Amino acid sequence: MISANHLYLLCLLYALNSCSPSTERSQPLADTGEESTSLKIDTIEIIQMEFRPAVLNVQKGDTVVFVNKDIVAHDATEISNKSWTSGTMPVGAIWKFVPTADVDYYCSIHEVMKGKIIVK
Amino acid sequence: MKTTNTFLTRVICVIAWFMLVSSSVWAQSNTPLSDAEVASVAVVANQIDIDYAAIAKEKSTNKAILHFAETMASDHKAVIDQAVALAKKLNVTPKDNAVSQKLHSDADKTKAALSAKSGKAFDKAYIDNEVAYHKAVINAVETLLIPDASNAELKQLLQNVLPTLKAHLAHAEKVQKEFK
Repeated sequence: MISANHLYLLCLLYALNSCSPSTERSQPLADTGEESTSLKIDTIEIIQMEFRPAVLNVQKGDTVVFVNKDIVAHDATEISNKSWTSGTMPVGAIWKFVPTADVDYYCSIHEVMKGKIIVK
Repeated sequence: MKTTNTFLTRVICVIAWFMLVSSSVWAQSNTPLSDAEVASVAVVANQIDIDYAAIAKEKSTNKAILHFAETMASDHKAVIDQAVALAKKLNVTPKDNAVSQKLHSDADKTKAALSAKSGKAFDKAYIDNEVAYHKAVINAVETLLIPDASNAELKQLLQNVLPTLKAHLAHAEKVQKEFK
């Protein structure tokens, strides 16, 4: 009888314990919900010697992720002043950055590959 | 008039060279190539351009030529690595054949011709050859290697290589304009 009560109490405590974290987690998410939806991650795939999409529209503060899905190494480099570059990205590499203004970029290894990011 | 004749002579030479490369080298086989032979041709064709790049890196001081040669060396090595890895996966040993043998013998002649030049004449000869060679290789991949490849993964690898070859051609043509 005692052990049955103990078992009941243990189950009750376990149930309460497993419920409480989700309640606690939901509060901060509700507080920061506006912030988490305003910033996005946009992906540019490097594949078949192209940046896809070639023109990407982003919101200020969004993160742009370059993913090299091609069969050779590439990079992403700002064209006019080379003010930023991903450096050489081997096959499968990922590089991310947050653009602050409109930018034209290219692959400095394969100069015919070009892309543009428009920051709204 | 003299300028027109010179230009026409150059055009005729380029067309003749291209026809020579594209017809005599690649049209060696009347029967379809096996996958082992396709793999061999793919490896040899890539290695030849790496060899040309090595000559350019040794002989040229031109920034655009050196950059292009560096790209050819690394890209074609990457393609060879993938072709070899796929052949290993498929348990296929690249097999020497009439096309790969002719590629080798013609490349030896081209390498000798390139090695005999220097300075701007070398740079022009190298980039002219790169334009012609990539045109010929693209044509061969599209009309010979892809149709002959029977394994789906080998066929896919060849299809994946085409955009790289076409970008190389566009890059070579861009550099070539500096030497006209």
